Amino acid sequence: MKASSFHLNLLKPSETLSSSPVRLRIMLPVGALLACVGLLVWWGVLFTQIVLTKTQAHNIEEDLAAKNSAHAEAIQKRDLARELKLQLEQLEYYKSGVRSIGEPLAKFAEIVPLRVQLKEMSITPPKPQVLLPPGLKVPLFGPTENVETQKLVIAGLTTKETPVISLMESLETGFEKLVTNERKINSFKQDNAEIDGRKLLSFEVEYTMPERRFAK
Amino acid sequence: MKLQLTKDKTIEIKFPSGGAKSVRDITGIELFATGETECPAIRLVYKKKSWHIAASGFAKLPNGELPMRWEDTPHQPVWEMPHEFTSPHAALAVNSPMATFAQSTADAVVQDMMAGLAAQDEKSTAGDKLQPDGKRRFGIKREQQAIPAKKTAAQQENSARKPPFPGAGTPVSENGRRFVVRPMAEENFHLCASLPEFQTLWLSRLLPEGKRPTASSIQVAESALMASILLQPEFIAADGNALAIFMRPDATYLAGYKKGEPVLWRRCPGVGGALAMRDTVRNTLGLDEELVDSVLNESLIDPRPALEPFVRPILSQLSLSLDYLASKHGLKFDHAFLMGVGAGASHWSTYAEESLHLRLVSPDPFEGLELDKGVDAGDASRHLVALGAAIAGAEVSA
Repeated sequence: MKASSFHLNLLKPSETLSSSPVRLRIMLPVGALLACVGLLVWWGVLFTQIVLTKTQAHNIEEDLAAKNSAHAEAIQKRDLARELKLQLEQLEYYKSGVRSIGEPLAKFAEIVPLRVQLKEMSITPPKPQVLLPPGLKVPLFGPTENVETQKLVIAGLTTKETPVISLMESLETGFEKLVTNERKINSFKQDNAEIDGRKLLSFEVEYTMPERRFAK
Repeated sequence: MKLQLTKDKTIEIKFPSGGAKSVRDITGIELFATGETECPAIRLVYKKKSWHIAASGFAKLPNGELPMRWEDTPHQPVWEMPHEFTSPHAALAVNSPMATFAQSTADAVVQDMMAGLAAQDEKSTAGDKLQPDGKRRFGIKREQQAIPAKKTAAQQENSARKPPFPGAGTPVSENGRRFVVRPMAEENFHLCASLPEFQTLWLSRLLPEGKRPTASSIQVAESALMASILLQPEFIAADGNALAIFMRPDATYLAGYKKGEPVLWRRCPGVGGALAMRDTVRNTLGLDEELVDSVLNESLIDPRPALEPFVRPILSQLSLSLDYLASKHGLKFDHAFLMGVGAGASHWSTYAEESLHLRLVSPDPFEGLELDKGVDAGDASRHLVALGAAIAGAEVSA
């Protein structure tokens, strides 16, 4: 037996109301609306973040461009400073490489024996430096070698051998700034010149001068 | 559940466990019963594999009368039930002078649908001629029509249109009325209930949304009455074959059942209801109203001279119904149910045995149901319609 045979319900299904306080008829559209609003807010936040990020990226790019030029300028200045520093260093090298031979030369006149007539006293020019070695575009500012060696050539006339020996002995002490003990007699021979009827001897002695050091 | 997206578009969401079959807690309420100043209500709850009466009592009438015109429907009261009746669902059984409930053939149902309120309106207009047009008791909503205009061809075609026969249990609206039909056990016969559309709409919105209970069923009182004995143990024991007399305050009905399906429903013609019976007893024996019940229940005074003239016509109708059921359906009964009589039921049975050799049994309407603690079963006969509404609304199967 089924009571459904006696259920003559005049209420249409569309007219049935829910007794639940939570009304799906209202809550579903509200929920859907809230979901849509949530999505919109999310998209809004996303869009704002994208715009902010783009703006930040643009600002950073601009900042970077500005800093690039400043950086290039700084690098240029740093290079210039380094160059100047190097130049100063080179100058320091040159300063320390100054050969002070005025004082020994002044003393030199005192040790020249009477029987010796100096005809020439020369310092050989230093070996030319290669300031633009192959592969280098910019010429070097300073010396390429730290040590420079020169020769002092003393040439003159004498009557006999002894005064020359005496001169060489005199040069052994007190003239360290001008010559070293390394020497070489380039020539000692009869000269055509005469004085008081006596034939003169010409000589040429080559002294190695102390090393000129380009260093601090 | 239907969601209206736009004016024309709606979407329907169907929940898997929806429908009346899932109703396990329902309140049956009878509205606007004759002679009642309150609404009998019963709460039926299915628990522990049986139906329980969780509450039985009376609720205040809604603030406002059942509208009798379209124009009255905007005055929609909001009705709230007492706490004990706050079940999720409510089955409303309404007593309306504009309601119909009858067994009919399909053609008769369609004729009724075609006539709608118009036929009833015409009938009522004859009685209300003295009243102005706007004061007429019945009628569908219409425009001001001082001079009836001639029907256009479209209107004539529309009025000649034959509405399709509605599916079983599916309410349809035709010509200002709401109809619903159920097939009976006899072929080509249907139970048909109808109510004016505006009354149905008014009732559907009576219980507010979002508060328990809300209406899940609107029935006419006679329909609910017919379902009220479905859980009676004697009815179940008889395999659903039964003949029943239902006495209402204003009318008496006969109902036949075959294997739990409706097979007969008729109103006893020329006979009133319980009020008429009490009036007859009171007037014949010269009693006060308060004494009627005691006279009918006690044996010191024989009420036969007063009661028998009232009962005899009913027993005649009962005899006709017995013959009809025996000849048409092969149903023979040695007893019949007598429901809603209250005082004097034993006298009815005596008369029936004398004239028809038929016992009349008046079981407690709540028999077959478990009573929860605190439920007052004293006034059960007044709750017959409410009980039937709840049983039908829950679509109980026994």
